[in-house]
Amino acid sequence: MQAGLRRYLQAYISAAPLATFRVAFGVLVLASVARFWAKGWIEELYLRPTFFFSYYGFEWVKPLGNYTYGLFIVCGLCALLVALGWWYRTAALGLFVSFTYIELMDKSTYLNHYYFVSLAAFLLVLLPAGRFFSVDAHRNPARWRSQVPRWTVDALRLLVGIVYCYAGLAKLNSDWLLHAMPLRIWLPAKNDLWLVGPLFNHPWVAYAFSWFGAFYDLTVPFFLLYRPTRIWAYATVVVFHVLTAVLFPIGMFPYVMIVAALVFFPAETHERVQARVQRWWSKRPATPRTSQPLVYAPRTRQLLLLTLGVFFVVQLLLPFRYLLYPRELFWTEEGYRFSWRVMLMEKMGQVQFKVVDSATGRARLVNNYEHLSVLQEKMMSTQPDMLVQFAHYLRDYYARRGVRNPKVYADAYVSLNGRLGKSFIDPTVDLAQVTDDLRAKPWILPFDDEITGL
Amino acid sequence: MKNTLLFALLLFVTTIGIFSCQKESSADTPGPDTTLDRKALLTQWADSLVKPGYQRFNDKLVVLKAKTTAFTAAPTTATLTAARQAWQAAYQEWQKVELYEFGPAESVSLRNHFNIYPTDAAGINSNITSGAYNFELATAIPQQGFPALDYLLNGVASNDAAIVQQYVTSANHRRYLTDVMAKMEQTFGTVYSQWNGSYRDTFVNNTGTDASSSLSRVINAYSLYYERFLRAGKVGIPAGTMTGVARPEKIEAYYFKGTLPLQLATTAHATVQQFFNGRTGRPSLKSYLDALGAKDSRTGQSLTSIINTQFGVSYQQLSTLGPDLYSTITARNADAVASYNEMQKAVRLIKVDMTSALGITVTYVDNDGD
Repeated sequence: MQAGLRRYLQAYISAAPLATFRVAFGVLVLASVARFWAKGWIEELYLRPTFFFSYYGFEWVKPLGNYTYGLFIVCGLCALLVALGWWYRTAALGLFVSFTYIELMDKSTYLNHYYFVSLAAFLLVLLPAGRFFSVDAHRNPARWRSQVPRWTVDALRLLVGIVYCYAGLAKLNSDWLLHAMPLRIWLPAKNDLWLVGPLFNHPWVAYAFSWFGAFYDLTVPFFLLYRPTRIWAYATVVVFHVLTAVLFPIGMFPYVMIVAALVFFPAETHERVQARVQRWWSKRPATPRTSQPLVYAPRTRQLLLLTLGVFFVVQLLLPFRYLLYPRELFWTEEGYRFSWRVMLMEKMGQVQFKVVDSATGRARLVNNYEHLSVLQEKMMSTQPDMLVQFAHYLRDYYARRGVRNPKVYADAYVSLNGRLGKSFIDPTVDLAQVTDDLRAKPWILPFDDEITGL
Repeated sequence: MKNTLLFALLLFVTTIGIFSCQKESSADTPGPDTTLDRKALLTQWADSLVKPGYQRFNDKLVVLKAKTTAFTAAPTTATLTAARQAWQAAYQEWQKVELYEFGPAESVSLRNHFNIYPTDAAGINSNITSGAYNFELATAIPQQGFPALDYLLNGVASNDAAIVQQYVTSANHRRYLTDVMAKMEQTFGTVYSQWNGSYRDTFVNNTGTDASSSLSRVINAYSLYYERFLRAGKVGIPAGTMTGVARPEKIEAYYFKGTLPLQLATTAHATVQQFFNGRTGRPSLKSYLDALGAKDSRTGQSLTSIINTQFGVSYQQLSTLGPDLYSTITARNADAVASYNEMQKAVRLIKVDMTSALGITVTYVDNDGD
């Protein structure tokens, strides 16, 4: 066992898969940033709102006013440099920091694939992806390394594998498998799609999609690992993600996954493709060089392995933190984020806040839209931690306007996966007094139903 | 790599092939798909609700224009009464089309030009005095439309004779009334002609469910109207539910008073429910939701019957606020608040349960499903 592990950690493979991942990832992030900007979302999501939903412990991360554009420029530039492998390590660090900062600015824009981008960028900071097929290696041939420890490539494979498997595990619940929810709601909404549309009116199609989706997520990493099935599995990856891109408004996620899954292909495939790409700009045939393995100093290697180990233990455990909370995860969303729970819920809500002056007893109702963007209001309406944050904002807002010791009550109504909406939180609890932290929130009203499964 | 892509393409085509074969095999069995036809729904809305609705409103607006013109040409108590009657009739008809604030109406902000109240009487007076105003400015929104006409025809002086006298003596008053009317005619004319032109087809053919689709725009306009302009505007704000202080002077048709304000509100409410139910046997929100099988999964009751029941309760409560909404808000404010609360329940059914069941998206921003 120990010997096996040692042998594994000593094994070397070509650096080509890392290089492909670096290039494709950089290009995709650059495209994401450009797309985000072009759609006017920087202005809409980060400049216009007056209030932002911070993450617990990251309250200091805020949009930077007009400098937010600069932040996106830095992020895009770092992505480009990463793709080129130019000033690689600095660029990867810059990409990780700037992208993560952007994502931490406002919870309401949380998306699992942004989280994936942050994690992948973090791994790229650690991994030697800039030593091969890169501007750095071209400018400074002494830094060129064609062989890397096998575990550096496997780290990326493991991350992609975790994303799929956990997304699959999350689907093993009664709403998804037994009621085909939420696909049963989402598919008929796409029944005007060319050719396949009319099928979506039939519930059995939603069931088929649900079951196939769960099976696909749970198994595809293994099929990608296994040589005889790899090409089939990858073809399914492409078809599956193209289909989700057509059906659902999930932005860049399908493309990110299509590209990320390339890391499962063997090194020779990557080398062949890279050689071909290289021929596009330099006519002279690449001179064969003797392979050059990357050898870490023992301390560096130890530190890297330790960091990766901790990283993956956290990754494996974090999605299960919901078990620490007593009630239905989909209803309370305690421990929901950062767990690869993708496309699992059709959840919608409406909330009416009431601010009461403690001295006079005078009550007034709040127009949420005067303070929040459409996206923020939509997200807040179904997520208790955001309801508390907004309640605290209202408390301070009205205190500044002369309301004495404002009490803030929320009358929230939420519908989940086709169930008729019901009261979401206790309307008699003064949210101004409730602390916003990671503890269970007893003022969330019972779900009055059961979703069994993981 | 090349092979992979080729292969993926092949697989994709095969998948679609399989899908379409299955479609053929299921075509002869009566599926639910016949009524889940958004194009038919949009066509019904365009041709049987919006366009005829706008036509009826246009007729009333033409009469109103004629009567106000007659009044400004020769201000007498008789012409004033005639103008006022035309104003009432048009205002009633407006309640049946105000909810169509999507497409052309949305792009010209029709409601802003027609029915933002309370009207800014002081602003109108200073406009009349100065003779200089621009109805496109944000500050001018409450200085035009039906609420401005309410003030101009009912509120500029204490009795009819005095009002007539005002118009006899002041050319600026006559001009302002004419200009308000002209602005309404022009703004609505744009919307009306677009619906009778190419927009109808654009609307009917945009059959998706994304944030820019016709269905999404309609539902957005519909729930916004019910929540903000019917629930809050006609009842909630005057009753003081938002601020804790009743402000009966903020009702619609405040200067005319009497039974009209409540009539306008009940007409609006009835319109909302009629829009939901449509005509029997024709596509409607109700038939579409029924075809989707939308129901409360806890009790098995259909969503449309839940919504209709709530609309019924809410309409009933609203009707009890008569005969004179202004005095009701002052004398029995709790009833007005109760009416607001019933409407709030309907708002939730529309904004949350119905929107969710329809599977439409409300923002353009990426979303992975929560």
